[in-house]
Amino acid sequence: MTELWEVLRDAFPELASGFWVTVRLVAVSFVIALAAGTLVAGLRLAPLRLLRVIGATYVEVFRNLPLLVLLFISFAGLRRAGLPVSAWVAGTGSLGLYTGAYVAEALRSGVFAVGKGQVEAALSLGLDYRQALRRIVMPQAFRTVIPPLANLTIAMIKNSAIIGVSLLALPDLLKEARIYQSQTFQTDATFFWAAVGYLILTVSATIVARRLETRYAIRR
Amino acid sequence: MTYLFDPDNWEWLWTGNNFRFIVEGFAVNVQIALIAMAFSLILGLILALLRLSKVKPVGVAAGVWVDVWRNLPLIFIILYLALALPAPWVDAYESVVPSFFPEALQSGRVLAALLGLVLYNSAVIAEIMRAGILSLDRGQGEAAASLGLSYRQQMRHVILPQGLRRMVPATVSQLITLNKDTTLVSIIAIQEVMRHGRIVTGFNFFGGVQAPVLQVFVFIGILFVITNFALSRLSRRLEVREGGPGRAPPVRVLGVEDQMAPAETR
Amino acid sequence: MSSTRLRWLLVALATFAALVFVACGDDEEESGGEGGGGDAAADVKQFPADSALGRIQEEGKITIGVKYDVPPFGFRNPQSDEIEGFDVDMGRHIADALGVEPEFIEAISDNRIPFLMRDRVDLILSTMTITGERDTEIDFSEPYYIARGRILVAGDSQIKGIADLDGDTSVCTALGSTYEETLKKEAPDSELRLVDSYPECQELLQNGAVDAISTDDVILTGMIIQDDTLKLVGDNLTTEPYGVGIKQGNRQMKQLVDETLQAVKDDGRWEDSYQEWVGQYTDQQQKPPTMTLEEAVELAPE
Repeated sequence: MTELWEVLRDAFPELASGFWVTVRLVAVSFVIALAAGTLVAGLRLAPLRLLRVIGATYVEVFRNLPLLVLLFISFAGLRRAGLPVSAWVAGTGSLGLYTGAYVAEALRSGVFAVGKGQVEAALSLGLDYRQALRRIVMPQAFRTVIPPLANLTIAMIKNSAIIGVSLLALPDLLKEARIYQSQTFQTDATFFWAAVGYLILTVSATIVARRLETRYAIRR
Repeated sequence: MTYLFDPDNWEWLWTGNNFRFIVEGFAVNVQIALIAMAFSLILGLILALLRLSKVKPVGVAAGVWVDVWRNLPLIFIILYLALALPAPWVDAYESVVPSFFPEALQSGRVLAALLGLVLYNSAVIAEIMRAGILSLDRGQGEAAASLGLSYRQQMRHVILPQGLRRMVPATVSQLITLNKDTTLVSIIAIQEVMRHGRIVTGFNFFGGVQAPVLQVFVFIGILFVITNFALSRLSRRLEVREGGPGRAPPVRVLGVEDQMAPAETR
Repeated sequence: MSSTRLRWLLVALATFAALVFVACGDDEEESGGEGGGGDAAADVKQFPADSALGRIQEEGKITIGVKYDVPPFGFRNPQSDEIEGFDVDMGRHIADALGVEPEFIEAISDNRIPFLMRDRVDLILSTMTITGERDTEIDFSEPYYIARGRILVAGDSQIKGIADLDGDTSVCTALGSTYEETLKKEAPDSELRLVDSYPECQELLQNGAVDAISTDDVILTGMIIQDDTLKLVGDNLTTEPYGVGIKQGNRQMKQLVDETLQAVKDDGRWEDSYQEWVGQYTDQQQKPPTMTLEEAVELAPE
């Protein structure tokens, strides 16, 4: 038991540093995911068929591709091909684009939830399609989307651990725990505190999401 | 861009043993996914029933168990088990594993991988099943009760069959996620497709043909996309059949699994 | 869907799964006696059945942990699916001395000592440096190879030695290796990137994400074999005597291994393996090591 607290005291600087790296990874990826997801959702809802196909391809590719493979392609592959992406860019870019496919799907079903009637009403008021989408449909769709987005954030927190163990070797929470463990062999205690770290993140995300839901979400 | 499509960079695919070597690695991933899924379904069902138990403490305990495993990164669980599994367990696994299994699955490390995958996935499956069961009309349970069926009989003959059928699409979708997750076991040095890919890119002083990293992993990506896409098509067909003409649109159990966005409505 | 359709679907899935297992189950073979090892000695000493070695002879195989991804000492040839290398050759010689078949399994740096302690392997032959700290947990044979710590950089790098690894540089080595400590001491300003295995370091160096790799020269030589634009620079950082890892207390095994290794050094087999795996790729010519285990431990008390 005492070793549990000893380990915490001894490893705290490294674990805390890893914790913040994880937070930053998730934050940047979240922004990328939202941006990419919105863009792709727009593509999938576009009147032009070619755009819809592009959007659908994006979603199918990124949903069926393992994140680890994507990390390899985006970091090792691109660098070898001549494009000097950094580990951070490759890591957040991959996680962001990957999650973005799921965001796009969530938004799309959110849009459908808003209902055709809204779009028709907007059009009859003289708004063109783009305006209707932007001013009427999307804002409502966003609010339906809060629960799945919360789930996706939790997914991103968990997936961020993959970035650390991969070739990219960014010093996130899991990586710091492993480094400490490899030097001191305190396996159980180290991983316990790392688990606590991850649970703090996921539970916080859940709490924030619940708050947002009660305030903003539209229940169907 | 030209680098990606340059045929010279793809020459490795049809020379030497490389294609076969990578596909063999991929087969290991698929096998691990299937085994893990089988055990996850069993354990998931047990957990779901425990969660729905009338005995409050049991339900709460099962709920905590499920929530903890669902909220930890899978790679975290696998790495911890790889380091911390007691030796007797690993030895037991190695004596139990049948010899017709491929060599990659004979290693004791696979136990850590399978255990990690099952602990995590069974928690997710448990939530899917619970949602499936709860999505049924209360009327079903009440009608069954009014026919004189006991709780257990209600479960067995009325509620479970319908509830479980509803979660088939979400389960297949979870199998897709599981298939992707199997790449994580490469971190604990199990010889699956990621490892085989890296060997192919590295050891070109055997084959004489340079296998570039980008192409090799794009190829591996294609393998996954094709397989998972086929699985998702399968899942969609299963949904359609469920509905049938003239009946109310099937109640879709939302993939409670973290990565599943609500599927599109029709 | 109707329940008959569901049932057919399950049957199809089960058949598919069965086919996948059968198709892929039988073409992986354990590394057999092909190649490298040389003939078994004419007189193989038989050990009493209840001794550690006797039990191995009963089973007919000895399990040896080697590296699968560190050419030229232990690696898996993708074209032939065989495990090959200098360590593998030494393992074959020991197996021959016992008159059994060697079974090679992968022992990564992280778990090789636990594997030995748990009897998952009988021996470790995976580029393992003899250190005093490891010596407290397991036993070592006499050194069978002396490697040196070096630094590997890209062909066009300006780095000439450890002194050049300053705050603007990054250097890669494996998680849990002795070089973690060495680099922290000798190049504290350089950004240390730790990965799971050396092929990852190699990838990072080749695509420019790190500036240098530091580990045993044999491992670095393996990288040069695959990519001759890389170069070794600087002085020898450390001396790394390799020893065979033996379970602590197994004196019988240690004696057998030491005798075998000495024979291999004396009768030219060591040189043959050296030539095949290392000599032909580098200009350095090495002789069989004469360092003793005590000397090796003194070099690296931790």
